[in-house]
Amino acid sequence: VPLLDRPWILASALVYLAGVLAIGVWSARRTRTARDFWIAGQSLGPVVTGIVTMAAAFSGFVFLGGPGLTYRIGLSSLFINASVGFTSGLLGWAVAKRLRLLAEVREVYTVPDAVLARYRSRVASGTAAVAILIGTVSYLGVQLLALGRLLEPVLGLPDLVGRWSFPAALAIGLGVLLFYSVVGGMVAGVYTDLFQGALMMLAALVVFGYAMASGGGLSRIGTTLAGSEAFGRTFLEPFGKTPVLTAFGFFFVFGIGVLGQPHMLHKFFMLRDPRKLRWLPFTLGFSQILCLLIWLGIGLAVPALVAQGRLAPLANPDEAAPLFLLHFTPGIVAGLAIAGILAAIMSTADSFMNIGSAVLVRDLPRAFGHPLRDELFWGRLATVAVTLGSTALAYAYNDLIALLGTFAFGTFGAALAPALAIGLNWRRVTATAATASIATGAGLNLVLELLNRQTWFPSLPKLPFAPGVLPGAVSLAASFTVLLGVTAWTARRGDPPLDPDVSAVMEA
Amino acid sequence: VTSRRAIGLLALLSPLLLAASFWGGEAAQWIWAVAVALFPVALIALGVTRGREGLGPLRLPLLLLAAVLTGSLVLLLALPDGGPTVFGLPLGTAWILFILVPVPLAIVAWAYAFSFDRFWLREEDLERLRQLRSAPREEG
Repeated sequence: VPLLDRPWILASALVYLAGVLAIGVWSARRTRTARDFWIAGQSLGPVVTGIVTMAAAFSGFVFLGGPGLTYRIGLSSLFINASVGFTSGLLGWAVAKRLRLLAEVREVYTVPDAVLARYRSRVASGTAAVAILIGTVSYLGVQLLALGRLLEPVLGLPDLVGRWSFPAALAIGLGVLLFYSVVGGMVAGVYTDLFQGALMMLAALVVFGYAMASGGGLSRIGTTLAGSEAFGRTFLEPFGKTPVLTAFGFFFVFGIGVLGQPHMLHKFFMLRDPRKLRWLPFTLGFSQILCLLIWLGIGLAVPALVAQGRLAPLANPDEAAPLFLLHFTPGIVAGLAIAGILAAIMSTADSFMNIGSAVLVRDLPRAFGHPLRDELFWGRLATVAVTLGSTALAYAYNDLIALLGTFAFGTFGAALAPALAIGLNWRRVTATAATASIATGAGLNLVLELLNRQTWFPSLPKLPFAPGVLPGAVSLAASFTVLLGVTAWTARRGDPPLDPDVSAVMEA
Repeated sequence: VTSRRAIGLLALLSPLLLAASFWGGEAAQWIWAVAVALFPVALIALGVTRGREGLGPLRLPLLLLAAVLTGSLVLLLALPDGGPTVFGLPLGTAWILFILVPVPLAIVAWAYAFSFDRFWLREEDLERLRQLRSAPREEG
């Protein structure tokens, strides 16, 4: 990462960190029960729900990894985001209403709670909890390491503490995150996410304006890139540098896998009034599109600036965003953008800290038939344990955790999307089918992704798929197939009738 | 009937996507284009269907969504090298930016809000749920 220790950037980062700490202090007094800690007292309005769902969903990858990926593979990276037009509606129609209504009739605070209520199976709920824990540890570990790596240059720590700069940066980031997440639980989580989401949208909009202006506008950027030797027209084509099946795989995994993301679904339990779901696709969809402008803007501007000879070719594509911010935006905008990137990382991290602790303190004990009594106390303790555990694992097994983190979205999607999106809308789905689908989705995705990317054992077989096929897409399709197949197989025997309240939720 | 059709479509598309992942070639690309476009529409249709009312007022928006998604992905696949240049970008890329992302969002955001209390979540649904929630307490 290039040097980021300029005064505006340092000031913005410090103001941002002070802001989230202040929200932590404010929310500490509002966190008195387990309901407050897990679902923010079920007190959110529609705009807040939309923005915090977006903030939890969009990690630092949108701000840093996205532009870097575009520099590497061209505009075919847009297929990752092309589904954003319908995903908010898909979430609303397929899962959000039923999840929120379950929370209306039952004490449902988490996705495994919802699985337990729907299927009345502790095996299904426990399997979902384990899948969520695996994804959470890797997702969280990657976010925390990214936070440390970003804070290190921003706070100028290499000059201050030398070789201890990364551990020091990580400790500062962890300290802030743990403070507000432990004392304020999800109350702090959602209000920091609201602040962070607003910051992300503002930063994305402003940086997009600068990106388009620096490259001479969309049309000129396109003409420059098409005529350059380094990039050429292929860079701009929809399938330019990416196999067609990879592009459609992105569309499928990110378009359908969204139905299994616990950090997004969790937010629906927090809405005060189910009738306010009416505005979910609007607030979520438009806030997502606003944030994605930074991916498109920097993703187009940086290669154009390289093609125009105004920026040296990048040795590391992930430096696209920091280099653009340092060289082509005023200090105050760069500061705003860096605060936006910190916000994107921390808003995703705090969601997973809460979800991970819920798995340990609520979901797994209930799956084993031994619910804990003082969930608020144990939840706070588990938040610390999950966070420090994920950090230690990520620190010790950096490559493995980074690898797991990169496909955690696919793991969540393959594990949970079929059991929720079909199971909450079709009463014939059995608990056996849901358990088989969750286990298949999570297990198959882990195995396929590790086989696909591992370099430790060269003698292991290569995957038998057509070129370009994404393991995550195969796992997702397999998980749906298993759910429907096992349902057909077990439906004749069937499950006992649904409880009247759950049945009413599914009919509503 | 609509639920059964949606389930039937999903039961067809899921193994088809899986099988096409092994085949590869041009046929697999066309299968993927159509299947990944119809998949979300089938899931939405399954979620939206309400007994005898079926898709109710959402029939037209969902047909429109299916047409935009399927038409867009098929068009992208059919355009050689992304097609002619529009606004400095290949037509296919411009289509993603100006049609494939914003048009579905406009359709779903409008259709969701428009049909919400008349069809999707009615006051009587909530009233029934409130009664069911209070029932065990009264019994207890």
